[in-house]
Amino acid sequence: MDALFQNLELGFSVALNGWNLLYCLMGVLLGTLIGVLPGIGPVATIAMLLPVTFTLNPTSALIMLAGIYYGAQYGGSTTAILVNIPGESSSVVTCLDGYQMARQGRAGPALGIAAIGSFFAGCVATVIIALFAPPLAEVALKFGPAEYFSLMVLGLIAATVLAHGSLIKAIAMVIFGLLLGLVGTDVNSGVARFSFGVSELSDGIGFVSVAMGVFGFAEIIGNLEQKEKREVFTKKVSNLLPSLQDFKDSWASILRGTALGSCLGILPGGGALLASFAAYTLEKKVSKNSANFGKGAIQGVAAPEAANNAGAQTSFIPLLTLGIPSNPVMALMIGAMMIQGIAPGPQVMTERPQLFWGMIASMWVGNLLLVVLNLPMIGMWIKLLMVPYRVLYPSILLFCCIGVYSISNSPFDVMQTAAFGVVGYIFVKLECEPAPLILGFILGPLMEENLRRAMLLSRGDPLVFFQRPLSLTMLLIAAFLLAIVLAPAVRKKREEAFVEA
Amino acid sequence: MKITNGKDFWAGLMFIAFGVAFMAVAQDYAMGTAVRMGPAYFPTVLGGMLAVLGAAILFRAFVSKIHHPLAVFPFRFWFILAGVILGAIAYYTQASRETNIAWQIGHMLLSGLAVGLIFAGFGERSLWIILFSVVIFGYMLKPLGLVISTGLIIFVSAWGGHEFRWKEITILSVALAIFSVAAFVHGLGLPMNVWPSIWE
Repeated sequence: MDALFQNLELGFSVALNGWNLLYCLMGVLLGTLIGVLPGIGPVATIAMLLPVTFTLNPTSALIMLAGIYYGAQYGGSTTAILVNIPGESSSVVTCLDGYQMARQGRAGPALGIAAIGSFFAGCVATVIIALFAPPLAEVALKFGPAEYFSLMVLGLIAATVLAHGSLIKAIAMVIFGLLLGLVGTDVNSGVARFSFGVSELSDGIGFVSVAMGVFGFAEIIGNLEQKEKREVFTKKVSNLLPSLQDFKDSWASILRGTALGSCLGILPGGGALLASFAAYTLEKKVSKNSANFGKGAIQGVAAPEAANNAGAQTSFIPLLTLGIPSNPVMALMIGAMMIQGIAPGPQVMTERPQLFWGMIASMWVGNLLLVVLNLPMIGMWIKLLMVPYRVLYPSILLFCCIGVYSISNSPFDVMQTAAFGVVGYIFVKLECEPAPLILGFILGPLMEENLRRAMLLSRGDPLVFFQRPLSLTMLLIAAFLLAIVLAPAVRKKREEAFVEA
Repeated sequence: MKITNGKDFWAGLMFIAFGVAFMAVAQDYAMGTAVRMGPAYFPTVLGGMLAVLGAAILFRAFVSKIHHPLAVFPFRFWFILAGVILGAIAYYTQASRETNIAWQIGHMLLSGLAVGLIFAGFGERSLWIILFSVVIFGYMLKPLGLVISTGLIIFVSAWGGHEFRWKEITILSVALAIFSVAAFVHGLGLPMNVWPSIWE
């Protein structure tokens, strides 16, 4: 326990340091600013804002990115409640009851309870990370290459199982991502693979280009294809503080949502999306008057919002301890870490305690800033919602381009991003979920390296993955996950769960 | 045999094509052995897996109960072919670069046309116009400077949308040009020239 407090103290001393606090604040504000724009979710937001952080030192950069993430999520729920446009799949659920509340003139309390629920969940999740990350990292330090390889297999399988849409397409996307990740110079032999003589490609495909193209540009274009039809509830946002009755109705939901979200967030492939869907379903089951759900039940806003924030935060645990991203947002975080020259993994905690604990403490600070700043500033965010999209998207494009260009002052990067915009558009049209692709892209080189090492150590015996107990366990879990998803009954349920909520 | 699910059909073909392409290109590198894997080993295995999965998705397109038309998105084969041919010409004429400015501009226009055609091969108008505006910005930033490039990207991308209002877009470009110069060049100190490089 003492160690915990010492660590948190170190963390807070880093997070509350003037500059870091400022970056956290900037991150939260920028994140909300972009996240509040209709149709742009956290992944797209982070992808667009990544280049902004590259000039900072690693700790500040990650603190700012984490801030951007929370801000984007919060902005997303604001849009969901006021405009009924979910910025991303995890706020789809918030739309259901949040928008109905707004139509009944209770937009204020809906926004308020969303913020308060998120803040509470954030506090709990911060403590959970601080408690569980160190022991997990210790286990991870004992991992050999075989274990790492199996862990990545498990992570990728879990991510595809939990992604919505077709399983087989998701797996294909993971493999496609792994292949794209292999483009560039091979570490072992020095051969520039798949670069076709283009010197820019011998460093590998730019991570920002893939993320911004597939998520950012493709989303902008997707939004343009749908004709604008928005109904913004703006004038009715007056009383932000939920009434006493609202608190009475929703405190239990917030607790349940937090608990559920924290657990689901740790799972690979989990994170915010699964958490909010599961929390909504649970509330509906638990509630005495479940008929109210979908018609503006405050529990239907409080629980998923708490859950998605808790899940968002606890999904940092596998990232910080194992170096394995559990969802696309975490994949972007790992990408940012690698660009900053930090190899993600269990050693981060021991080698860079300041970064590790500073980031954890900043999560709490970020959540606090969100409540303190965003609630009063809601008027400004609403004004932003009124700006027509035809003015917004050229501006977003411009900033994206400047961002991509500035990474290495290269027009090639910009072109590459545009090309991935085309690819992302095709993926959307073919119903291929792009999230698994980015996970594969990040893990490609790591996976190859660990496979090589494991096979070298075992002298070419592939059975090594089944002989080491930890590795075997992880592979068995992965197989089990695949098996249950393929089982017809579960498959039907899974489809229902994603359709219903 | 009838294709019921057009989306699965194209997705299957796409994955097969990428899988086979990765495997084929990987054959240029050393395969190595299972103990000492060469650079070709992992991509070959993955490419094979991708092709197999692609085949499974393709198969599903014929038996799927979900119906999608075969024309999932606009696809213009001739545009892409023309773009690829022009691109190849541009790629191979690149080496003989002379200092002649007219020649350079001509080459740039040729490459631009090639990229534009390839982009225009897919999707609706908004897709390729917007992405093309991005490419223009990327390649014009250095020669034309931030101010003019900003104007270019804003005008071209706005033209790709549903409505285009001259006045609004002009004001927007001016405002954004001032903002970007202030924020990115003077504020963050990014190394970009504000005005065309010939002037400076």
